[in-house]
Amino acid sequence: MSKVVVITSGKGGVGKTTTSAAIASGLALRGHKTAVIDFDVGLRNLDLIMGCERRVVYDFVNVIQGDARLSQALIKDKQCENLYILPASQTRDKDALTEEGVEEVIDQLRQMDFEFIVCDSPAGIEHGAVMALTFADEAIITTNPEVSSVRDSDRIIGILQSKSRRAQNGEEPVVEHLLITRYSPRRVAEGEMLSYKDVQELLRIPLIGVIPESEAVLQASNQGMPAIHLKGSDVAEAYSDVVARFLEEGSREEALAKRPLRFVDYAKPGLIQRIFGGK
Amino acid sequence: MPQTRDLEFRNAAMDVTVAVLHHTEPPRLADAMHKMMGGMPDFFDGDATVLDLGELATIPEHIDWTGILSLFRRFCLRPVAVQNVPPALLEGVRQTNLAILPEGGLRNHPAPAPEPAAAPVQQQLPLTPPPSSGQPATTMIIDRPLRTGQQVYAKYGDIVLLCGSSSGAEIIADGCVHCYGPLRGRVLAGGAGNTNARIFTTNFGPEIVSIGGIYKTFEHGVPDSIAGKPVHVRLVTNESGQKLVIEPLRLN
Ligand SMILES: Nc1ncnc2c1ncn2[C@@H]1O[C@H](COP(=O)(O)OP(=O)(O)OP(=O)(O)O)[C@@H](O)[C@H]1O
Ligand SMILES: [Mg+2]
Repeated sequence: MSKVVVITSGKGGVGKTTTSAAIASGLALRGHKTAVIDFDVGLRNLDLIMGCERRVVYDFVNVIQGDARLSQALIKDKQCENLYILPASQTRDKDALTEEGVEEVIDQLRQMDFEFIVCDSPAGIEHGAVMALTFADEAIITTNPEVSSVRDSDRIIGILQSKSRRAQNGEEPVVEHLLITRYSPRRVAEGEMLSYKDVQELLRIPLIGVIPESEAVLQASNQGMPAIHLKGSDVAEAYSDVVARFLEEGSREEALAKRPLRFVDYAKPGLIQRIFGGK
Repeated sequence: MPQTRDLEFRNAAMDVTVAVLHHTEPPRLADAMHKMMGGMPDFFDGDATVLDLGELATIPEHIDWTGILSLFRRFCLRPVAVQNVPPALLEGVRQTNLAILPEGGLRNHPAPAPEPAAAPVQQQLPLTPPPSSGQPATTMIIDRPLRTGQQVYAKYGDIVLLCGSSSGAEIIADGCVHCYGPLRGRVLAGGAGNTNARIFTTNFGPEIVSIGGIYKTFEHGVPDSIAGKPVHVRLVTNESGQKLVIEPLRLN
């Protein structure tokens, strides 16, 4: 059984593509056959972050319009055995993603025995974002700790609950996960950002993890490498935790008890730390 | 396929929203739209709109078209044409760029009930089709969190929210609003002018509360004494007028 997972946010620039690349890679690293689809028609960011932009020949829209077969358009990841990327197209015609077309592609991926199909949503609440979430079984609501991002996430949760296939067919609702990204414990301590508890309290969906703000993300994207591969960096660790919790059976409370949040506390550097370094 | 012409014209029919104006003063229309659409200015999603001037209460000497058009756009309605224009107003309409539909205009579906001022005729209302009048009041129970941009409207009855609401949501009941969980967003009880309606919540945090049209906003946040607490809102009338009373609610 394949699981379709949408990475969505409403607001732009919060880290959806970074998260899609990291989570898809993390799932593949743990041995799950995974496909990651870029729904951001016209922008095409995922292939850059995955470092496969030079190998793009056919794209999602080519497949939908029948110009290429899905197997021709899927690009095998250079780092992970089990990972395939379906890039977005350069076309400006956002309506090129038809609902039937998207459904057809997802059905084919299911038949190809992909365990996870990760959908990187574009920003906004319009057609592209709706297409990305329509077939979702689970949703990772990517949110930055600031009011406008929380507000947009709230709105996209509402859309998920009304426009997803699961909602339209009256099936079990899409499973929602809250992922807080670009989190800076220092700025939270200084009152410049909402804390992860505030965000969770406002959105009231189960928290799956907190990704710290980190320069490593930029480094990784410059190298065309998903952040989860940056061994020893806090973002890589935080994303690995998220993947582990995502795969955990049982309740979210149990998963968080077993693997508590990291990189969320701010300790004012004391004298000793300033001299000897360390966290 | 070889293209023989650079441009073709085709005929198509499209669904439009018809807004029947009973008055034309923009502030008055703004107020009416606000009451109808509340905090959900994107309710209409950019629908093409035909303004119907056939039912004006009086024929005004001058119409502030700029004001009217910008008002409709603000509520995500896109005026494209006018219909049933009284002859005295034709000259003004011609200045606006709107198409003037021929005599009789579109066959429009009548509004369900006479409504004040602007009455956009909408084929389908999301979430709550109002029960036909005369039907007993029913309580609307919402089992999931009400999210930003979502709206519920209990015509004639009460609303019970079991999972709270988010800021940017809108809750309108002709009766009372009961909320078990955080009550955020715009909360309007006593929608049809029922001044006895009340608002109850276990966790108070709205942006605006209103009973029977008397409202209070919390632009600078809810006072600490009631924020996040169980609260009860009612309307009291005394010699100095009507006033919303917002008090802690005892739960024990
Ligand atoms: N944890 C992080 N720390 C620091 N920078 C980050 C982090 N996550 C993302 N960024 C940066 O934020 C920017 C936006 O990230 P990304 O492209 O993943 O967001 P997005 O939500 O996909 O954006 P869009 O809405 O445009 O698709 C990028 O420059 C990225 O490097
Ligand atoms: Mg993106």
